[in-house]
Amino acid sequence: MNSDRLGSMFWFALGAISIYGSVRLGLGTTGEPGSGFLPFTAGVFICLMALLVFLQSFGSGRRLQRGLATLWEGVYWRRSLAIGVLTLAYILTLETLGFFLTGFLLLVIIMRGLERLDWKKTLIISIVTLTVSYVVFKIFLKATLPVGVLGF
Amino acid sequence: MDFFANMITGFSVALEPMNLVFCFIGVFIGTLIGVLPGIGPVGTMAILLPVTYGIPPTTAIIMLSGIYYGAQYGGSTTSILVGIPGEAASVITTIDGYQMALQGRAGPALGIAAFGSFIAGTIGIIGMQLLAPPLVSVALRFGPPEYFSLMILGLVILTYLAQKSMAKALMMAGVGILLGTVGLDTMTGTPRFTAGVPELLDGVGIAPLAMGLFGISEILLNVERKFKLEIVTTELKHLFPSAKDWGESIGPILRSSVVGFFLGILPGGGAVLASFVTYGMEKRLSKTPEQFGKGAIAGVAAPESANNAAAQGAFIPLLTLGIPANVVMGMLLGALMIHNIVPGPMMIKNHPDLFWGVIASMYVGNVMLLILNLPLIGLWVKLLQVPYSILFPMILFICLLGGYVINNSTTDLYLMLLFGVVGYLMRKFDYEPAPLILAYVLSSLLENALRQSLILSGGSLQIFVTRPISVGCLVLSLILLVSSILPWIRDRRRMLVDQAEEAT
Repeated sequence: MNSDRLGSMFWFALGAISIYGSVRLGLGTTGEPGSGFLPFTAGVFICLMALLVFLQSFGSGRRLQRGLATLWEGVYWRRSLAIGVLTLAYILTLETLGFFLTGFLLLVIIMRGLERLDWKKTLIISIVTLTVSYVVFKIFLKATLPVGVLGF
Repeated sequence: MDFFANMITGFSVALEPMNLVFCFIGVFIGTLIGVLPGIGPVGTMAILLPVTYGIPPTTAIIMLSGIYYGAQYGGSTTSILVGIPGEAASVITTIDGYQMALQGRAGPALGIAAFGSFIAGTIGIIGMQLLAPPLVSVALRFGPPEYFSLMILGLVILTYLAQKSMAKALMMAGVGILLGTVGLDTMTGTPRFTAGVPELLDGVGIAPLAMGLFGISEILLNVERKFKLEIVTTELKHLFPSAKDWGESIGPILRSSVVGFFLGILPGGGAVLASFVTYGMEKRLSKTPEQFGKGAIAGVAAPESANNAAAQGAFIPLLTLGIPANVVMGMLLGALMIHNIVPGPMMIKNHPDLFWGVIASMYVGNVMLLILNLPLIGLWVKLLQVPYSILFPMILFICLLGGYVINNSTTDLYLMLLFGVVGYLMRKFDYEPAPLILAYVLSSLLENALRQSLILSGGSLQIFVTRPISVGCLVLSLILLVSSILPWIRDRRRMLVDQAEEAT
């Protein structure tokens, strides 16, 4: 599937949804524009541009003729997927496990598991990063960090 | 007289110990991220936004500004020594800078970049001081229709300069405006597009949005490619350029500073545009244009001066009109709004300490940068050797921490991850995030200006075309839009994009 065609369909759908939502919010009149006025205009504009990109994808030019698979050709996409999943896991566990434990696990898993750094480097960098961020955020900026199971 | 009185006000603020410290932190971090490829000033400012919640607004803006102009200094180091741009505005510097390094002239290249930056930065600040007050008096005559049309013009120029498809860039501006309407409608109190999530009643926060689009998504893209930096490790000597080098550079530095400054003021323009334009200009003016691309020192001096002058010029529309000229200024606007300060013509009167303090801090910052970038150049070269596998986990962790502390809620983190993935896919599909974020910041201002204009005119759209400034902006926008469709201009634009891509 041509990547531009697929992309434009997605944005067209988003534009259409916002048009529907804006109409429900009420467009008002030009004398007194309602809550839906600007989002409606933006939605129409997005749909028009999406249509334009869709039509352009049938034209010639090397940039426009790209299949979907080529976007992930020759890159280590598993690595970005892994980072995405790890980040999600961090967010899910942050408030139960606490700032120190989740942060430590995230850094160690990435640096040791994914990047294959040696243990010494991994541990030193993780601990320094955690300590510095604790000092900056908690002590200096007085931010509330989730304590979690460790209790501090 | 006013000039000096204002400067005294400014320096008394800028030289306060706390402001000095944060100015240093700003320019230091700016140089750092300028040097490191893979993270730019927008991402960094987004990551540091949460930090600014806890400090006074003047201090916050001093630090954030320092990051921006500091990055213009740092970007040149990587361009010259590694041959890849540390920062978008230094793309063009790689051409001649890297050639100079290969010929063993890395020292003078780095030297002229730093001195040029300093001279240009200073010219830019003086320009700001001279131009801001008269512009404020013009801005005071702006009504809602003028504001509306000017913002439209800004968005059109930004998308016109988009590197890839203009249709896509315009679409992203539409998406940004849409995102900006999420939350309570300020005029009617109606919740819009909140999907029943209470946290969204306040709207989508600028921090999770910008951190996602510029921080997380860049990490996701960079880890896919394994890149290794090969640094030209000739001994760095003769950092102070010779008389011959100065002779070849001083003209380009002065010309590029002035041109860069005015290009920076242009809505939608900024440092990147300035560096490209002045490089082309100097090549045309040069007596030895054939040297350009083979290590001409003017090819380093011109863009590096221009990007610094432009970085200063870009502050003018924000500080006088309250309209950000580019994405970085959009982030600053976001930071000011967090502190309930609305930039615009009244700011110079209502917050003179902030206005003149920030300007004075730039003089101080520029001196700090000169010291940071010349005697301490070795430090940055060492830093370039730190592998990305160590850097990105730290950047990711700081993003996640900063995203949490704003509201002490994981909702912002989920949003950040979502926008990170969206930003990653956008770049894969050749959509640029810059128009999106600028439109997002402008959205509420745009909506208010539109509504007020229409109420003022009793519902007639004619109000936008009967006022001279407003109609001027709209006509210019239209010309740009139409011209981008004309085949020969479109092809020329594409050619420039291809050249820029080849240069990187």
